[in-house]
Amino acid sequence: MTAIQLLIKDIKNLRPVPAIANQIVDMVDSPSVSMNDIAQIIQYDPAVTASLLRTCNSAYFGLSNPVESVKDAVAILGIDKVVELALLNASAKTLNKSWKGYGLHEGAMWKHAVSSALIAKDIAKKLAHGSSNTIFTAALLKDIGKTVLDKFIQISSDKIQNLIEQDGYSFIEAEKKIIGTDHAEIGAMIAKIWKFSPKMVNIIRHHHAPDGTIDTGIDVAIVYLADCICMMMGVGIGSDGLSYRFHDDIIRELSITPNDIAKIIADFTINMQKVEALLRVV
Amino acid sequence: MKIIVGVSDMKVSNDPSSDIITYSLGSCIGLVVFDPVVKVGGILHYMLPESSLDREKAERNPYMFADSGIPLLFKETYKYDAVKKRMKISVFGGSQILDQKGFFNIGKRNYMALKKLLFKNNVLINYEDVGGNVNRTVRLEIKTGDIFVKTSGANEVKI
Repeated sequence: MTAIQLLIKDIKNLRPVPAIANQIVDMVDSPSVSMNDIAQIIQYDPAVTASLLRTCNSAYFGLSNPVESVKDAVAILGIDKVVELALLNASAKTLNKSWKGYGLHEGAMWKHAVSSALIAKDIAKKLAHGSSNTIFTAALLKDIGKTVLDKFIQISSDKIQNLIEQDGYSFIEAEKKIIGTDHAEIGAMIAKIWKFSPKMVNIIRHHHAPDGTIDTGIDVAIVYLADCICMMMGVGIGSDGLSYRFHDDIIRELSITPNDIAKIIADFTINMQKVEALLRVV
Repeated sequence: MKIIVGVSDMKVSNDPSSDIITYSLGSCIGLVVFDPVVKVGGILHYMLPESSLDREKAERNPYMFADSGIPLLFKETYKYDAVKKRMKISVFGGSQILDQKGFFNIGKRNYMALKKLLFKNNVLINYEDVGGNVNRTVRLEIKTGDIFVKTSGANEVKI
């Protein structure tokens, strides 16, 4: 089998994010769908409902009366929060592992995913961008390709590091050069196989903004910026470090200033303890 | 004993059995101070250069910013009889994403804020490992004052 055939086989063997995540994502950002419809979908998935209720009833939320149904959860926390928690619960198992090739200890990829999802959603809201839930989910799953590429990276890590240190490659450019594909491409392939919306596939495919422009869409640019901010903060980064390209043009086109970035970092830091607590209860 | 310095956090100790450690400095700065005579040391892990960004947040967590956090690190070591002119100063972090230039370069701005403040107070930096595109984990051994750095993907090395 060729390397690419092996990769595709690996994708098919990958434990998928439960189908419910796809359904929720498709629904949340569609204006014709009511929040009750979404609550309905969630409550038909017993595994996600169970973990959602467990999370809602954890000390993190400090609710005085226990939440006993998805409907209760929506009434108390609001649909937005419930969708967020359902998506986190649906993807936790897939992401919350250690990945040796990328030098990510257990929980690091998960922490990075959740942090960039929260930051991306925050930026989307600040910019009054409509698809904040699609952006949240895409940011959460943007590195899913790493879970498949990990063992290939492990074999080639010296060659990749050499290209970065000697020849000025970014990590993702070095992946492409050595392995023939990169984690964004593979991530988009996975998203397609899992039947995510074209919008989600597009964000995952371009989340490192390989062409350095905003042409692939504002939602891509938002997820790109959230990823950059997480790198600067050192949240869940592995052996790839900060070896990705920064495009100030993209940030400027979003009308985000350096001061805005500093404010996002400060806000997130103040909430960090809450985020850590959230990571423990999902 | 391992004393962990979180993000926007500071710890000081004179317990010879303890190690102070801070994980994963990206563009943040890890400032390590140690007085070899009284054997007291500490680490500050700050994220941003200036507290003028948000006074209210700086009051809630002064360790978030260079200008509000650095003086507190020194003052805390003085409680254990550390003396400024004996202090060994080491600096880590301040990394940047590739091509991150000018005012968007938070790593560089974090480092410049530190340099400015130390210069004004006549404090010299003894060792620094800053910039580049890596993330760093830093550990200070109180018994010896030895510092160990782990860079993304590599093993821990003593400096």
